[in-house]
Amino acid sequence: MKRILLAVLAAVASLAMLSGAVMAHHGVAGYDLTKTITLHGTVAKFDWSNPHVVLYMDAKNESGEMQHWTIEFAAPVHMVRAGWSKSAMKAGDDITIDTHPSRNGAPVGISSTITFILKTVVNGQALPSRTE
Amino acid sequence: MRIRMAILMIALPPALAFSSFLTAQSVPAPTGAKAQQPGLMSGGIPDLNGIWNPDFRGPEGVRVNTWDPSDPFATHPEKAPMTPWAAEKFKGVRPPFGALQTFDNTNDPVQRYCDPPGVPRIYMYPWELTFLQTPKIVYILYEYTKVWRAIYMDRDHPKDPENSWMGDSTGKYEGDTFIIDTIGFNDKTWLDQTGHPHSDALHVIERFRRVDRDKLELSVTIDDPKAYTKTFSATKVYKLTTEPMGETLCAYSEMKEFQENVVDRTQTPPSK
Repeated sequence: MKRILLAVLAAVASLAMLSGAVMAHHGVAGYDLTKTITLHGTVAKFDWSNPHVVLYMDAKNESGEMQHWTIEFAAPVHMVRAGWSKSAMKAGDDITIDTHPSRNGAPVGISSTITFILKTVVNGQALPSRTE
Repeated sequence: MRIRMAILMIALPPALAFSSFLTAQSVPAPTGAKAQQPGLMSGGIPDLNGIWNPDFRGPEGVRVNTWDPSDPFATHPEKAPMTPWAAEKFKGVRPPFGALQTFDNTNDPVQRYCDPPGVPRIYMYPWELTFLQTPKIVYILYEYTKVWRAIYMDRDHPKDPENSWMGDSTGKYEGDTFIIDTIGFNDKTWLDQTGHPHSDALHVIERFRRVDRDKLELSVTIDDPKAYTKTFSATKVYKLTTEPMGETLCAYSEMKEFQENVVDRTQTPPSK
């Protein structure tokens, strides 16, 4: 009985967190939030605009093939409040970033919503991150 | 519209100055002076002036996807107390939020067309708001999409108000609570992120209460007999902040680009 209760509480808690996460612009059902991968590559473009900041980067996959990744972040206003700025990175920068990948296998990920920012290192410098 | 903007331009500077004055008034009074009750302006009026940030992390904060108290996490949005008219309308929504969320050709009017979010959906977003209290009009400025509302303190609703995105609002103070009564909506907006519809008979009552110096509580009551079989209410909490409001506009070109470059590509079947 206690296990069932704990399971229910865990489910409610995760639902609550998900609910918080989806409130920004759209839901996050397209991403697998239980999975985190690390990408290492080069910034192609850092698009600091509404509704969400977007990073385009090139990174090699496990087979050594170059992939063009698209990484979503929170809205610019929320990234500013978390200590980021439009000059956090630029094309050509070396980047290592954690991201929750899309469920469908497309090279698209989400590294920040209003409630979290995953680990991001640009040219050896860690940018502000936070957990839920 | 020009007249309203002119009023705003004229009203804002003194209102801001008034706000600074009020902030100064919140400094503890010297010994012997008449103590002012925290959170109240002279005359006993609740002091709501300032910038407020939604507390989406607290227990009330997660109640973001619906105003239906029986379904705070929007796990069963289809079970809201809808009339047959509203239930039929709800069948056609394709929301990007909640348990029924989909990105396949979503018809969320905000996300798809950058329509104004309307009231009360404006409170579903995690962005700040600013109160500016003047004797005759209280302004609420919303960071999300930079919309603002004028709450008229010195008149009733027009007998036959125009149908508008943000409605016609009148306000009054009752003790420590600021009550806003709004009617005169169109029926183009959603009540919440999950696509609950409303009719042009929507009547929204907002109750703002400054619980303490840093905490503002908002209770929203939905009254729409054409769309719902009963009234219902939910509460949100805001925290006082010094972070100035930024630019969170819904620019259609940016929204479309984001939809195509990011959101659409996470959908099944996968695209490039």
